[in-house]
Amino acid sequence: MEAAGIAAAPRTPRRRRARAGSALEWVRERLTTTPGRLVLTSIVVVVGAACFGIIATGAEQSRERAVSTGRTATEPLLANAVNLYAALSDANATVATGLLGVGGLEPQAARNRYLQDLDRATGALAALTRGVGTASAQSSLGAIADRLPLYSGLIETARANSRQGFPVGAAYLRQAATMLNQTILRAANRVYAIEAGRLNDDYRTGTSSATLVALGAAIALGLVPLLLAQPYVTRVSHRVVNVPMVVATVVLAGVSVWALIALTGEQNSLAAAQRDGSDVVEVRSAADVLLSRAQGDLSLTLVNRGTDVRDPLDFAAVLRVLTTGELAPRLNAGFASYWTAAKRVQGLEGGGQLEAAIRQLPAVAAVSERLDRDLREQITVAQDRFDHAAADAATALDGLWLAIPLAAVLAAVLALLGLRQRINEYR
Amino acid sequence: MSRPIRHLLPLALVALAVAGCGTSSNHSMRLALAALETPTPTPAASAASKPVSCKNLTASLRPPATIPVPSTMPQGSFMRAIQRRGYLIAGVSAGALDLGYLNPATGQIEGFEIELVRELARAIFGNPTGHYRLLALSVPQRIPFVNAGKVDIVVDAVTITCARKQQVDFSTVYYDAHQRVLVLSSSHATSVRDLAGQPVCAAAGSSSIDVMKKLPDPPKPVGLPLGADCMAALQQGTVAAISTDDSILLGFKAQDPNTRLIGRSLADVPYGMAISKAHPEFVRFVNGVLANLRADGTWRRLYDKWLGHIRGSNPRLPPARYDG
Repeated sequence: MEAAGIAAAPRTPRRRRARAGSALEWVRERLTTTPGRLVLTSIVVVVGAACFGIIATGAEQSRERAVSTGRTATEPLLANAVNLYAALSDANATVATGLLGVGGLEPQAARNRYLQDLDRATGALAALTRGVGTASAQSSLGAIADRLPLYSGLIETARANSRQGFPVGAAYLRQAATMLNQTILRAANRVYAIEAGRLNDDYRTGTSSATLVALGAAIALGLVPLLLAQPYVTRVSHRVVNVPMVVATVVLAGVSVWALIALTGEQNSLAAAQRDGSDVVEVRSAADVLLSRAQGDLSLTLVNRGTDVRDPLDFAAVLRVLTTGELAPRLNAGFASYWTAAKRVQGLEGGGQLEAAIRQLPAVAAVSERLDRDLREQITVAQDRFDHAAADAATALDGLWLAIPLAAVLAAVLALLGLRQRINEYR
Repeated sequence: MSRPIRHLLPLALVALAVAGCGTSSNHSMRLALAALETPTPTPAASAASKPVSCKNLTASLRPPATIPVPSTMPQGSFMRAIQRRGYLIAGVSAGALDLGYLNPATGQIEGFEIELVRELARAIFGNPTGHYRLLALSVPQRIPFVNAGKVDIVVDAVTITCARKQQVDFSTVYYDAHQRVLVLSSSHATSVRDLAGQPVCAAAGSSSIDVMKKLPDPPKPVGLPLGADCMAALQQGTVAAISTDDSILLGFKAQDPNTRLIGRSLADVPYGMAISKAHPEFVRFVNGVLANLRADGTWRRLYDKWLGHIRGSNPRLPPARYDG
């Protein structure tokens, strides 16, 4: 910094003004003669072509980078974040429901499902830890990795006690659920929010109108001098067409049209990837997580045998979000049947008919499992749509990174050739 | 000059039109995030009741000279209404081991208090089977449910207090609980005095915490939402002891043999059955049934069956006191 300051010191304003003055002098001199004007024209055309090359390449590269990070880095991380979140939520709901199995024995299917959920969660956690870049996401993942073994330890203690019919099992289950909800799932939510935000940034860059405006400006900067120069050259040289300049115009215009079509195609594909792909993944996953949370609340209410005030309140809050919130119209009719059944169980519990409520719980859990399966199928389909549309977006830009600079150089060289012929006529 | 611009104009318009259509929106993302961040509502804290004093706390209504024969309840009495309905509805606990708890092995609520409900049903119908229904109530539901007529009687470890006596009638004491202390077998403490300054757990907001605070060398009271949370905390070593009703502590001890009860009673905690003030004849009837259970040895038999086998239990027949 200091060295630059010292170097700049001798350049006094007077000397700079003198230099600017002499450049103006030079231009004014050239303007007085036809060959001079032709030299100036060739400079303007070359500068225009260079501007086209630089700005259009910049615009294309910004889109290409956005598509490529979104497709190969950000979205896969988001998918893993969603998976982690949903798997942990499902594990908790499954174990709470399973421990209410009549006879004190957890059904084998519930046990398997819980283990699969944990497996899915640890897989997603490992993938996220490898791929996540930001420090805050890393620290959230660290918090999850620290507590997950404690969580599963509490669950096993709850299981061992419940097997013997000991009510203290419910206390361990509640402790596990509290740890999951208040630390693990909150951290998962932070990671999810960070990754969703980053993908959204990629979408913004990848579909930005500013890029198209920049491309339009680049095309204008490249084409306008060429188009204006040709009538002038025709006038001074008394020839109808200057073939190299016409070819230069055609090359530049051709690549411009290609770039416009490519960027538009990329933008539409990327918008489709968001609309039909990741947006659906995000909304369905949120619904899936909330469904698990409601089912966990319902089961914990019954596990706690009438002594719990927090879980029924949380159940009601989740119910409100899923039935009257903005999310509701996007969910399928199956949710209505779940809520009806779940509310009946909660009503039985609230009225003190605990045994009847527990007898009805497996039926409610079955509806919840069916909905969860549907949601996960929809998420898989949406993920597929994302993959295809994002691949289309990337393909749309293929070759453009080479074509734009090539066209700019070719147009400049051809225009120079064409103008040089005319300038030489005056020598 | 104007001609090339005219050529470029359509191009620019196309570019702008195209720029408008395929843009991204973060609406779905915000929707999903907002839904996921739905906060858990915090339960409303129960208003602290004003301390009320009363005379003869545990005294109840005198039973009739002769208890009606089963299935022939007197006309116009509340027992007659129950008899006509065909079953007695009792509010009970489902989470207190050996008092009233849902046994996962059977899917039924069972325990000492449930046996007392059965005896009441036997006195009304002659045969308890099929003649009683149990509602598992949470602590805040106990008094409102009996006053609203949703249950005929509450047998749910309700401590008789002066404040509650203004809202409902109580039967005579059916279980004389005492606040005591449960520690791990490895603990060297022999009474609550050895635990001065150490964390000792009880259900948050319960009277057990107040009793602890008033001790001469008080321990550090730790309030957790439910009694069972204290049991988990003791097993995990985050508290040194639990101090609450011995009936509850005996249930904990049954779940973990590596614990023991220490010291003498810190406070008297009498349990009574709660009945609506609208049915004094039912209170007298219940007191009559309880007097019979005490006299014929049923009380002691049921106590031994559910709580007496636990080492450290201290069965004492609660005396019946009457004042009207």
